[in-house]
Amino acid sequence: MHSVTAIVVAHDGARWLKETLAAVLRQTRPLDRVVGVDNGSRDGSAKLLTEAFGSGNVLTLPRSTGFGEAVHEVLRRLPPAPGQEWVWLLHDDCAPDTQALQALLWAAEQDPKAAILGPKLRDWLDRRVLLEMGVTVSRSGRRDTGLEPREYDQGQHDGIADVLSVSTAGMLIRRDVWDELSGLDTALPLFRDDLDLCWRARTAGHRVLNVSDAVAWHAEASARRRRRIATSEEHPRRLDRRNGLFVLMANLPFGALVRSVLRNVLASMLRALLFLLAKQPANALDELAALGSVIGHPLRLRRARKARKNGRKQGWPAIRRKLTPPGAALRRLTDMVQGFLAGAGPVDSAGRHHAAADRAQEDDGDELLTDAGGVQRVFSSPGVVLCLILVVLTLAAERTLLPGLLSSDGHLGGGALVPVTGGASDLWRLYIEDHHAAGLGSQTWAPPYVAVLAGLSAVALGKTWLAVAVVLLGCVPLAGISAYAATKRMISYTPARVWLAATYALLPVATGAVAGGRLGTAIVIVLLPVYAALATRVIAGSRRAAWGFGLLLTVGTAFVPLVYVLVAILGGLAAVSFGGIRRGVRRSLVIGLGTPVVLLFPWLVQIVREPGRILLESGLHDGRLTAPRLGAESLLMLSPGGPGVPPVWATAGLIAVALAALLLRRHQMIVAIGWGVMLFGLLVAIVVSRINDAAWPGVPLAFAATGLLVAAGHQAHRIAEFRAAGGLRRLGAMLIVVVAFATPLAAAALWVARGADDPLRGDLSDPVPVLAELQSEPGEGTLLLRPRDGVVGYTLMRGRGPLIGESDLESPREATDRFTTAVAGLASGRGSTYVQTLASSGVRFVTVPGRVDPALQRALDSQPALVRVSLSETGGLWRVAGQVTVPPRPATAGALHRGWLWAQGALLVLVLILASPGARTKEPEGDYADAPAEEGPRGRRRAKEDRVPA
Amino acid sequence: MRRLIENRFGLLALVLVALGALYGVAFVSRPAPAAQVRPQAVKAPVESVTAVCPAPSGSRVSVVTPADQQQNRGQGSATLSAIKAPEEKSGGKADVIDRPGLLWQREIAPGGGPLVVDATGSMAAGLESAQTARETSGAQRGLAGVRCVEPGAESWFVGPGPAAAEMTLYLANPDSAPANVSFMVYSGEGPVLSERGNGVVVKPGQHRVIRLRDLAPSPLIMALQVSTRSGRVAAAVKAVLGEGRGVDWLPVATAPATRVVVPGIPGTAGQRELYVATPGDRDTVVRIRAALEDGSYALKNKETIEVPAGSAASLDLSTGIGGQPAALVLESDVPIVAGLKITGTGTRQDVAFTAGAASVDLGSVVADGRAEGKQTSWLVLSAPFAAATVEVRLVPSKGAAPAPVEVKLPAGRTKELRLAPPKGSKGGFSVVVRPMPGSGPVYGGRALDETAKDGQLVTAQPLAMARTWALVPPTVDSPGAVLP
Repeated sequence: MHSVTAIVVAHDGARWLKETLAAVLRQTRPLDRVVGVDNGSRDGSAKLLTEAFGSGNVLTLPRSTGFGEAVHEVLRRLPPAPGQEWVWLLHDDCAPDTQALQALLWAAEQDPKAAILGPKLRDWLDRRVLLEMGVTVSRSGRRDTGLEPREYDQGQHDGIADVLSVSTAGMLIRRDVWDELSGLDTALPLFRDDLDLCWRARTAGHRVLNVSDAVAWHAEASARRRRRIATSEEHPRRLDRRNGLFVLMANLPFGALVRSVLRNVLASMLRALLFLLAKQPANALDELAALGSVIGHPLRLRRARKARKNGRKQGWPAIRRKLTPPGAALRRLTDMVQGFLAGAGPVDSAGRHHAAADRAQEDDGDELLTDAGGVQRVFSSPGVVLCLILVVLTLAAERTLLPGLLSSDGHLGGGALVPVTGGASDLWRLYIEDHHAAGLGSQTWAPPYVAVLAGLSAVALGKTWLAVAVVLLGCVPLAGISAYAATKRMISYTPARVWLAATYALLPVATGAVAGGRLGTAIVIVLLPVYAALATRVIAGSRRAAWGFGLLLTVGTAFVPLVYVLVAILGGLAAVSFGGIRRGVRRSLVIGLGTPVVLLFPWLVQIVREPGRILLESGLHDGRLTAPRLGAESLLMLSPGGPGVPPVWATAGLIAVALAALLLRRHQMIVAIGWGVMLFGLLVAIVVSRINDAAWPGVPLAFAATGLLVAAGHQAHRIAEFRAAGGLRRLGAMLIVVVAFATPLAAAALWVARGADDPLRGDLSDPVPVLAELQSEPGEGTLLLRPRDGVVGYTLMRGRGPLIGESDLESPREATDRFTTAVAGLASGRGSTYVQTLASSGVRFVTVPGRVDPALQRALDSQPALVRVSLSETGGLWRVAGQVTVPPRPATAGALHRGWLWAQGALLVLVLILASPGARTKEPEGDYADAPAEEGPRGRRRAKEDRVPA
Repeated sequence: MRRLIENRFGLLALVLVALGALYGVAFVSRPAPAAQVRPQAVKAPVESVTAVCPAPSGSRVSVVTPADQQQNRGQGSATLSAIKAPEEKSGGKADVIDRPGLLWQREIAPGGGPLVVDATGSMAAGLESAQTARETSGAQRGLAGVRCVEPGAESWFVGPGPAAAEMTLYLANPDSAPANVSFMVYSGEGPVLSERGNGVVVKPGQHRVIRLRDLAPSPLIMALQVSTRSGRVAAAVKAVLGEGRGVDWLPVATAPATRVVVPGIPGTAGQRELYVATPGDRDTVVRIRAALEDGSYALKNKETIEVPAGSAASLDLSTGIGGQPAALVLESDVPIVAGLKITGTGTRQDVAFTAGAASVDLGSVVADGRAEGKQTSWLVLSAPFAAATVEVRLVPSKGAAPAPVEVKLPAGRTKELRLAPPKGSKGGFSVVVRPMPGSGPVYGGRALDETAKDGQLVTAQPLAMARTWALVPPTVDSPGAVLP
């Protein structure tokens, strides 16, 4: 004969208590005794308990009493009942089903050894969501329910299961067993007390069962911080972690304990580091504090272990089987990486309870990133299809470039791009070295884009050519992807996004950048839509978006300084317009615009000293790559001139559609802003192209086009309305669609027909002839002469071709003048000691690539000190016969440079951490109407409040 | 304002106005088409010259640097010394010449190797040197003169083959690096590949004398290419046709080109034989035009000459241009080299050679001119393509220089000048030829003959561009030079 005593412990749980009490009282198996305990509630819980159970059955305890203590207190006062007495423990936020007790008792009858039984716990609000069906623990102290996050209960786990432990919420325990085990450990006032009790019960030879027929709904109010915890001053997170470790270490036999200590120390360090990276220093601190508090009190641990000594070793094999299998850690790691990619935090909080593992909202462009939905879903996504089409177009247009590039000895180069030689390490050395031996030697600090390229090359397995090829040759599809993904939040009408992305990717600026080898513009074109997308979030006041924006703007500015000017002016206007509307907008803007200034500081100072360089981008500056007399109509049609741009009319459709968008009266604000950006970009483009002949107005025109596309794309959904309207409007809509799509189609056709090359080529040979490379001593140089249009251009290479970025280094004026005079004398063939001058600068070889001009050949042949090594259609090579002195490396005091590099690296890491997606706990959970939205910084502040004893 | 904003067309109108304004700004600020200023090369005097006289023993060596009236530059000197390795101490005594504007001549005693003329500074600009031998009897009877040439990487010689004359190749390397020399002989039957022909290494300071008969014994006519795979070499070829048939040096011919001008054919009587060779792998028909005193035309029945691929051919032009000063213009679809043999009159003949030459745009200098006794010097100037005006100046070895003479050359014509030294001056003289600005390309040659009882002695040389000026191109340090 069973007798059941229900004990409901309440603590500030009036919100749930009423339902709980009703459920207790409505049980189909009536309770023999009910006892309510109120741990000093301040919200009227005591009154509710009294109303339900009668004042005689309610015990009031101090506010700091823990759950276990309360139960102990009740049982101490309660005389044993006749027969087999069971105690049913209930939280105030746990409402059992009416048949729960009946089912539990039935299960208990089936298994005489069963001493502890627990119901199936489901979520309080979303009543189908499974919370727990028995709990186990991993060797790292992580609580493990064995369920997926937000798993729905469809009976998939049903049955009576032998488990390691069950929650105290709804736990039915035999009173004699409780007495035998001396109940819940009062040293664990909250969290893991259940695990500890069940572990001890199992060690003592009892069974712990989870009965799925018994259901209870649990709000997990303490774990989810729906109420303040009064039993401990500590944050529940730290408490949970500490108790988890403590229970584990108290119950493990000695050998396993040692392993566990080692494992947990390492794991905690790692997790703390990850928390730091996720910008959750409070979490990191809690993690370390929890570990420290367990390990730092060996006496307490020893006492606890002593109390659990009986049968611990004998029971261990049975328990071990119930622990989380070791493979789960690996699976969790992969989950974590996936979650990180999806924008969740890098570490979810210790598997505490399910509420913490809520998946964050999908991030931008997720449909492109997560292709788990099978091939069909991927290929039916318009973004993927657009990307594939652009890739095919690109391959067709670059048909002449790719074969040379893929063959072993072809180098990509031409236009503004020097033949790409060297690897990531060369670029890296160029960036960090104080003295550049290249050319005539230079002390200039290498421009920061070299570091960006070095990073990209490192990603491309150290192959700079691969990185450059992907960014430059793949600039059209990349720009398409970026434009498509970036407009996700701005434009909801997918066909408009497809049109926008295709038009953007095939802008004259993009094809011109590819043909002209303009790596900087190619990168900026890809980044520009991202800027726009991030800018909308910066204006909304997002701090993290501001850091990301600042970082990407740094990259763009490093390649094309003009980007910063454009963005800064627009940002200033935005600050004036939006600064007053939302809190934090100004600060976000300052972050976004200040980051590039800080990260690029010394280089920007150089630029400011020579303002003309603002208009130029990375790479070679050649007047042949620009159209010095660029027509007004070209500029208005967004055509920057130079090689690779389609005829002026190609973009007429875009302009026409954008003008038409002005006629629609709804959402005129966005259209006006778009056109404002367009006019602004256009003005800057005009200024740029008129001030400096070598400057290419590509980036301002890309800005202008972005504004135009947003203006047109934002109104595109009206097309659907017009089409539905029928009649003349339908005709008009069709016309607009035809005009709009004419631009990307014409641009694509013209691009494929012309080809993407010229002056860019994929089959350039290494500028340093093989013979010269082989026969030069280290440090000796090869002088390359190339007569062109009556001018002999020369460059001095030391053992290898020039790297990207070396063209921006400046040699000492005096040395350059002396050297230039000597080269002129050499090329004139007037004899004298010019060769000796060159030799004193370390010139060992003179090479003239291509068909050698007869006059130059005569001149070089007439030099007694030059020995001709070879002469053919592909070039001539002469060797300096006499003594060649390699100029010594000057002793440089690079402390300043070193210091700056370290500082820059540290700042970069900081910005990266601040910009990378951390834990997305800030997304409001929504389900809990009563839950205050916990945003990052505010949430942290709340955590501190929690620690204040109430 | 409010109505403008609320109007459907208000925003459009604003944007159109703004676009119009921007168009206007862009249109107005469009720069005028800038005239393409082609950067000009700067003329600068040559600062050092090295020339090698191949075999001056028993010859008269003439060295001259024309004085530059325009500017009097600093010091400079020319050193004549026997060829030697760079590390050797100057063994024999060296002649030092340090007075530009005066002809220096000396008879070199028989014996000894090549002479190196090393000039720097003011003596270098326009330095010209030549050796001329005169024998009145024996197998070497005749006048045999040759310019002392700068060492180079490639030289072409066109003339009779080793089967027709005793051909000797003189190689000298005055540089500090070894020269790896290879030869190629194109005969009437095609290219002659000799096992021994390739890969002669001439070390610094060394000189070699090679009998071409050893390389290719059979050709009657030949074109010889002397090229170096590395280093530079000064090459000269002497042809000895045999007792009573003459002797002379072959001048260096221009490298293969599709248009070759063979200038400097004197108006004396005698046989003229043209040699043409094509080193390529295609047969060709060479069109021949002659620029004579009365105009330029194709020679009757000698309009063309067929040259098989990789071979040499010859054509007797005595009836076409014999007895009149001429220049030949040869044109072909494939590159050719050409030379010409001039035979003097008399029972015992002497020969002279001229060859394809470049135009003398920046002027030319002939070191050795004579007008002693029965010797006569002729200057043959041609302007085969466009009219030209040429200033001719004599530089005597002693005494004051006479006033320069201006010669007008109508297009397509040739003029012959008899070079007479000013009265009272003794010894030899040099000739400085300078085309005036605006002239078409000028070609020319100098012929020297001496009337002897048993037959005329002749020698000739085409005018070579003087190394007075070098064009210093504008130079710019540009990393973009690595791109084609």
